[in-house]
Amino acid sequence: MSSLIEELAAICGAEYVSDKMVDRLCHTRDAGPTPGGVPAVVVRPRTTAQVSEIVRAANRHATPIFVWGRSTTFIGHGIQTGCILLALDLMSQIVRMDFDNHAVTVETGAIWHAVDIELAKRGWELAVPGSGGMFVCTVGGSVAYNSVPHGLAGYGMTGDNVIALEVVLPNGDVIYTGSAGNRAAGGLAFERYANGPDIAGLFIGSCGVFGVITQVTYRIRRKPDAERFAFYAFDSSDVALDAAQALQRRQVPTHMVGLFGGPKPTGLTGEAFLHIVVRDTPAGADERVSAAHAICAGYNGVRQDEAATERYWVHHMYSWLRNTPPEVYYSDRPYTCPEAAAFMPTQNVKDALRYLKNYEVEHAAEFAQHGIRIKCYDVYFSRNAAFLWIDTLFPELDAAAWQYGLKMRADYSEHLFSQFASPGGILAPLAPHIMPKLGSGFDFLRVLKAQLDPNGILNPGVLLLGKGEAK
Amino acid sequence: MSDGQRAIDKLRDVIYQCNRCAHCFDLSWLGDYNKCPAYRFGVFESYTGRGRFFLARALVDGKTDYTAEIAQRVFACTECRACAEHCFKYISTTDVYAAMKEDLAARDLLPPRLAAGLADAGGLGEYHNVYQGSQEDRLAWLPDRSRVDKKAEVVFFVGCTSAYARQNMALDLYALLEQAGIDFTIMSDEWCCGHPYLAGGQMGKARASIQHTLDAVEKLGAKQLVFNCPGCQRAFRDDWTELTGQAAPFEAVHVIELLAERLKQGEIAMKRFRPKTMITYHDPCVLGRWMGIYDAPRELIKAIPGANLVEMPRNRRDAYCCGAGGMIRYDFEAMANLAGADRIAEAEATGAEMILSACPACVMQLQQSRQRAKSRLKVMDITQLLASQLQPLRAKR
Repeated sequence: MSSLIEELAAICGAEYVSDKMVDRLCHTRDAGPTPGGVPAVVVRPRTTAQVSEIVRAANRHATPIFVWGRSTTFIGHGIQTGCILLALDLMSQIVRMDFDNHAVTVETGAIWHAVDIELAKRGWELAVPGSGGMFVCTVGGSVAYNSVPHGLAGYGMTGDNVIALEVVLPNGDVIYTGSAGNRAAGGLAFERYANGPDIAGLFIGSCGVFGVITQVTYRIRRKPDAERFAFYAFDSSDVALDAAQALQRRQVPTHMVGLFGGPKPTGLTGEAFLHIVVRDTPAGADERVSAAHAICAGYNGVRQDEAATERYWVHHMYSWLRNTPPEVYYSDRPYTCPEAAAFMPTQNVKDALRYLKNYEVEHAAEFAQHGIRIKCYDVYFSRNAAFLWIDTLFPELDAAAWQYGLKMRADYSEHLFSQFASPGGILAPLAPHIMPKLGSGFDFLRVLKAQLDPNGILNPGVLLLGKGEAK
Repeated sequence: MSDGQRAIDKLRDVIYQCNRCAHCFDLSWLGDYNKCPAYRFGVFESYTGRGRFFLARALVDGKTDYTAEIAQRVFACTECRACAEHCFKYISTTDVYAAMKEDLAARDLLPPRLAAGLADAGGLGEYHNVYQGSQEDRLAWLPDRSRVDKKAEVVFFVGCTSAYARQNMALDLYALLEQAGIDFTIMSDEWCCGHPYLAGGQMGKARASIQHTLDAVEKLGAKQLVFNCPGCQRAFRDDWTELTGQAAPFEAVHVIELLAERLKQGEIAMKRFRPKTMITYHDPCVLGRWMGIYDAPRELIKAIPGANLVEMPRNRRDAYCCGAGGMIRYDFEAMANLAGADRIAEAEATGAEMILSACPACVMQLQQSRQRAKSRLKVMDITQLLASQLQPLRAKR
């Protein structure tokens, strides 16, 4: 190990490499519920060339790498003891704002919202506002996990708006995707589908198992002129979901969130709630939000004060979905949340909710025993489908409650993924419940991993790929 | 901890509240600015709030024990409380750091210069001030001793920095209180407020130091202590209560609170200053994030005709620490210098010609940083400016 550390120090500079226990202990776990091992060394490169050299050194020493952006994911598999922890947060520069080609190129460790703020100064914005972790998560990490963003209905997934990537492959080679791949033509990143297969797609949502994303070129747009908001309460989840589907058919929302479980918005009655955000030209926004009002009224929706929707959209704080300031909402939330989530056709959300509510009833005694709290059964609606996420909170100090929390997640995941759903952007922690169900698709990914990463260097075990397969 | 227990173990529940979201050290949404001064300095995450919580959790889970390396990370903290202010779970992060410091102090793991500075022999314990000046010289700045130890309802607690390192601040505040018509006294045997001991995890000595002042104030029969130093103020306003569970038997106020109230009541006004003077204001961490006092200094500055307050991008709850806090200059001078340089650069970028603060330690740090940066920015304590601008409108009370 000492010779590996010397090599890493030679690559990055000794001050950017640490094998001190204090530094290694701080890189053992992400925001998920599962502790990992302690890495052997933490290394913080500042350039793509350094990342490449680190990956080559890892291969020479047969030592796995775990990639660390801001580690706000729920990866859950944990970090392998004795690995190289590749922390990318120093690679955080905005490389180029290209307004002619509607693109911004950033280093992988740039914080999502920080990039958006720089664009906003010029009247532009990233093509999606970012995910729940937008204030702290890195662009590279969000792309690697293909996180589910705000604005899902209008703008699609995080990965939908990637134009080009710079990636260090598991053997240390550096590749460029899309139009940027044509280095003879200057490597300008302006079009994703430029040179045959969509190579970027291999890395989007791959959780870092096929390569280390070191630079991202992302689509940008002029900030829309108008935003309008609507907020409705419904007598039942079923009716609210019918309304949501009607809104999807009319392509009304830029963003739409449904609240189907957990605490109700403060001071409101009703069983289910829809927050609707519309962004457009002023006339277009007025027309669309009028359509929203008409559709919701047609389903006996009761109009609520849309100030809550606006606060949520402006501040991107989930607490406002429930009419509650963040300090009130989060301060008494207990401990860890083993999030489970799934994409599904909108019409299937009804069945999923029935399952979840039955589960609550059937396991009421265990919930009480372990202090389990339902934070939410919320849905981000996409253009044509629904992303349901299930936040169950439990007191992690209680080992039995912690085990029960993980069991609940396993139960939910097994049920949902066996019925009609797939986990979407938070695939990694749910991999044991989805990858084996993919059959030949999983086999294909295993072949790819074995070919690209024969030594099992990059994030081995994540997505159930690369751990012990190469040998 | 006298019972042999570790302070950190009592906070296990708090430590487990951290969900590692990283809001504690990343303020990127404010633009291209630094976040936590320690992270900016130390590079590795172990210098951040999240990092210290990782270490705290490893300690309470028995995965590690206190080491000199942990001490290095815990004491490389300006105690600016930006992490607590931005914590997604509203955790009082500094409670955990304080517990770790207490445990480290009990294990003789204080960084060496801080340990020497707080020592009983040759340090704070012997001199009762952090500048190692003689007690006889503490009031050497006084124009006369007519107010010393006289019975009065208000005590002007001078503080070590004003008494020994920035005596003009003591003189200005003295004059300011007189101009405002406040009948006050000064203690002949003032000691350090105890704040440095708290920064060094030495709770027992902090208690003793505060108790000394409590006894002296009781003899004078005073009802109110007035400060120009937020650290001193907090020692009596909040720390004493946290240490003992009892409130101090007097009110502890910063002079700007006092003056802002008098301004509001129409009892004082300000003379005209140079027209269109652009002034920026640096929120001291203890005054702002620790005690929530953001408006009073701004109200006073805005009340000065001619003064034009221009805010730095990082202000109020987002204000960046100048590097003076946590006694870090003893052992982490480079970190203090880096934070100070960042703050001076940020102030300069506003176009202001003057930066004010409301803390002798911040002012001293910013003055030193300005000199190193060869900046033309004028650095003053707000009380110094007010001393030249204030005019009483009503009869003295």
